[in-house]
Amino acid sequence: MKKKLRIYLPFASNELKRQMAYKGAFYLFIFISLFGSFIQYFLWMAIYGSAENSVLGGLTREEMVVYIFMVYVTGSVVMISISDWVSDDVVKGTVAMNLIKPIDYRMSLISRAMGQVVYRFLVPGVFIWIGLEIYKVTVLGLSVTGVTNVLLYLASCIMSFFIYVLFDFCFGMVAFFTTYIFGMLMAKEALLSFLTGQLIPLSFFPEVVQKVFDYLPFSSMVYTPVMIYLGKYSDAQLCFVLARQAAWVVILYVLGSLIWKQVTKRLVVLGG
Amino acid sequence: MKLREEKIVIEVSHITKEFVSPKKYPGLKGAIKGLFSNEKVSKKAVDDISFTIEAGEIVGYIGSNGAGKSTTIKMMTGILNPTEGRCMVNGINPCKQRKENARNIGVVFGQRTQLWWDLPLSESFTILKEIYDVSDEDYKERMVFLNNVLELQDFFDRPVRTLSLGQRMRADLGAALLHNPKVLYLDEPTIGLDLVVKDNIRKAIKEINEKYQTTVILTTHDIGDIEELCSRIIIIDQGKKIYDGSLEALKDTYGTKRKVSMEVKKPEKVEHLNLAERLGVTAQECSMEVDKEQKVLTVTFDKHKLQVPQIMNAVMELTEVQDVKIQETELAEIVKQIYNHGFTGQEA
Ligand SMILES: Nc1ncnc2c1ncn2[C@@H]1O[C@H](COP(=O)(O)OP(=O)(O)OP(=O)(O)O)[C@@H](O)[C@H]1O
Ligand SMILES: [Mg+2]
Repeated sequence: MKKKLRIYLPFASNELKRQMAYKGAFYLFIFISLFGSFIQYFLWMAIYGSAENSVLGGLTREEMVVYIFMVYVTGSVVMISISDWVSDDVVKGTVAMNLIKPIDYRMSLISRAMGQVVYRFLVPGVFIWIGLEIYKVTVLGLSVTGVTNVLLYLASCIMSFFIYVLFDFCFGMVAFFTTYIFGMLMAKEALLSFLTGQLIPLSFFPEVVQKVFDYLPFSSMVYTPVMIYLGKYSDAQLCFVLARQAAWVVILYVLGSLIWKQVTKRLVVLGG
Repeated sequence: MKLREEKIVIEVSHITKEFVSPKKYPGLKGAIKGLFSNEKVSKKAVDDISFTIEAGEIVGYIGSNGAGKSTTIKMMTGILNPTEGRCMVNGINPCKQRKENARNIGVVFGQRTQLWWDLPLSESFTILKEIYDVSDEDYKERMVFLNNVLELQDFFDRPVRTLSLGQRMRADLGAALLHNPKVLYLDEPTIGLDLVVKDNIRKAIKEINEKYQTTVILTTHDIGDIEELCSRIIIIDQGKKIYDGSLEALKDTYGTKRKVSMEVKKPEKVEHLNLAERLGVTAQECSMEVDKEQKVLTVTFDKHKLQVPQIMNAVMELTEVQDVKIQETELAEIVKQIYNHGFTGQEA
């Protein structure tokens, strides 16, 4: 265990350093995505303003504000797209560089992703979170989120991270078969923002669709931790969603291992 | 003298790699046709190759462009699965036990780096130290050695992306050797390097081989690499092994031609001389060229059939010879011949 840490820790710290080196691009990314959140904010406020009910999809107007920004914070910290790196490695043939070393490719990718998580948590994450809490108390007149909820939220986020990267690893494996997945990466982004509840809270979908979502890993990625943060679950529900998250971590881990085995069997390293 | 224990390190048996790719048709119409057709073209990049390599050998693996060298190296390093056959490296099947195999090998792909592009070289080395579990003492000792032969200290703190090609290649070689691998694969390690750096790299490879008994397999298009480093060469052509043996044997069998150039006083006098007939051999065994402007007469002959003095005598009967130069056929010539005509001779 300690040895594993020693091997993979450098991958995380390198990624962190790399992020800092390219911080210009990163600030632009924050600006653009945060801009999207504000558009969402104004849209929803207009919807609530013209709606007859004060509660839509189980969320009050104030809760919706928290939802929009917590989804942003959670998504930006948890959803680290490692399939981008995989496709890069495949196209440039640098995957060979990883394969000729006695390291686990998936572990090295996940470690790299963790480095990015730390950075994203520190740079926009915490500040927006604190800002949101202040706004909540001073403007919206809600009370500060309780410690239990925050801790449960963080625990859920950790599992969300693993669900996302493990899923994304499986997705990235497609690159080995088609060698070019840029278009699919775009489609994935769009589809996920929908399926994870980043665009619209999942509670807005019809009953049937929600049932389907229950059997997919996507709701466990962002929606679950944010709803925990909002305190929307009863104790029994809480246990269930956390257990479901844990189950997805295991399932996707095993699935990824199986796919990786197949991939290395018919792996083609380009170039040379 | 110590007796070296002869031990087989690499065993490649009947290895074949077939690439199957969808058939492509030209033009836009072709592209659409390609969408609906299920036709495949397959190409045997490596075709039933077998050989064994013993500990401490430096083997040159050569062949023309697209012959299948890199493909073979990839299979031996475990990053490409053979279609048929298998190879064993140190008793490990590299494709089945990729990670175990990776501990024993060092690889340099000349065209790409295995270092972390954005990091200073020193950090790449620190990471590699952890990955390969190199102890502090070993690390220190190895670094002293590598600094000595590769002079890494000049750019040790610079990010890899800022290194020149030659510096990067030295860094890559150093990185491949940090964990003292038993087997070192070098795929075109001297590609694009200047003469001095080339020389340094060759020296480094030699020293490492001597000091640690590292087995080295190297592909190259540079004849100099082969002449200086390899005791044994394997030549492949279109995926098939066509020669496997020592360098001397290759030269002996296929470098039978010799060249003698004479500067003569009156070239017009020898212009019409039929040397082959005069010496009683066939035209293939002895041919002649006259350069009137430079006043040089060049005779190419079979060294098993004729001697230089015989030719000199025949020429001197007609005109005065002022200067003589004798050349053995170079390895480059032999290799060129082989690439051009394939190989008809038996394996040595
Ligand atoms: N992924 C692939 N799909 C289809 N064909 C391939 C693939 N990789 C290699 N080939 C073909 O296999 C043959 C051998 O390629 P390889 O890279 O081993 O050549 P090489 O001997 O290393 O040549 P060079 O000296 O140019 O590096 C080539 O004809 C190449 O086009
Ligand atoms: Mg090659």
